[in-house]
Amino acid sequence: MDAAKPDVSSVDQFLKTVERRALRMAEMATSNRDEAMDLVQDAMFGFVRHYTAKPAADWAPLFYRVLDSRINDWHRRRTVRGRWLAVWTKTGDDEDGVDEIAQAPDQTDPGPLLRLAGSEASIALDGALKKLPTRQRQAFLLRVWEGFDVATTAAVMRCSEGSVKTHLSRALAALRRALESYA
Amino acid sequence: MNQEPLPNWTGQAKQVLDESAQGLDAATLSRLNRARQRALEQARPRVMRPWFLPAGLASACAVLITVAVAWHTPTNMPAPTVSGATAGTFASDLDMMTSDDGIEFYEDLDFYAWLDSQEKDNNG
Repeated sequence: MDAAKPDVSSVDQFLKTVERRALRMAEMATSNRDEAMDLVQDAMFGFVRHYTAKPAADWAPLFYRVLDSRINDWHRRRTVRGRWLAVWTKTGDDEDGVDEIAQAPDQTDPGPLLRLAGSEASIALDGALKKLPTRQRQAFLLRVWEGFDVATTAAVMRCSEGSVKTHLSRALAALRRALESYA
Repeated sequence: MNQEPLPNWTGQAKQVLDESAQGLDAATLSRLNRARQRALEQARPRVMRPWFLPAGLASACAVLITVAVAWHTPTNMPAPTVSGATAGTFASDLDMMTSDDGIEFYEDLDFYAWLDSQEKDNNG
C-alpha cells in the first residue's frame, strides 16, 4: 500500500461531491434506501482504507469501482438467497437475441424524456433504470451521469471496453422503450 | 480512442438524475454525513493524549535504570565460604575438643608425623 498520507479535508470534499450520486446509484440497484446507505458507507470505508493515497485525479473512478463492487456483491448475495425464485422469474439480465445495429441511438432524436414534465420524468427515469439489468444500469450511470469515458467505465466495471459499449447500447435502447411507453 | 457520441436525450436524463440527487431530504443527507465522517476516521491521524509523552518517558527511564543496575550487579558473586585450610583447622579443633585423647597427644602430633616419616625412610 502507498505510504503517502491522505489529506483528510481533501478526501472529505471529494466524498461530499460523490455521495449523493452514489446513494442514488445504490438506491436504483437495491430499491431500498437503507441498503443503499449501507453500500455507500461500505464503499466510503473501502475507498478511504485503500485508495486515498492515490492521486486525487484517480479518486472518482476508484471510488465508483469500490461502489460497483459493493453493488455486485449485494446482487450476488441476493441471487444466492433468492435462487429458488429464479426458476419462476426471468431476470432480464440475458444479453442474447438483441439486434445492436437496430438499437444504435439516433443522435438527432429529441428523446423520450422531452414529453415528460419535471417530476414525471424523474419518476419515469427512476423506474426505468431500476428495471435495467445491473451491468446495463451501471454502464449507463457511469457513462451518462458521471461522464466517464468508455475506458474509465470499463476500468470501474472491471470489464472490456467492448462490454461497456454493449451494455450501454442495450441500456439506451431499453430506457427509450420504457420511457416511451411511460408517456 | 473511439468514443461513440451519446444521444441528445441522455443530457436530459443527466439533468433529471442531478435533480434527484440534489433533492435528497435532510435526514438522508445527515446519514450520508455521518457515514462519511465514520469513513474519514480511518484517515485521521491518531491524536496522542498530552500525558502520554511524560508517562512514556518515565516508563522508559525506569526500564533503562532497572536494566543498567541488573547489568552491573555481579550475578555470580561467591557465597561466603570457608577455605580448605580454615575448614581443616576448624575440624581439627572440633576433634580435639570432643576426643577422649589428652591434649598432650595433639600437642605431640607433629612429633608423631616426623617420627612416621623417619621410619619410612629407614625402611626404604
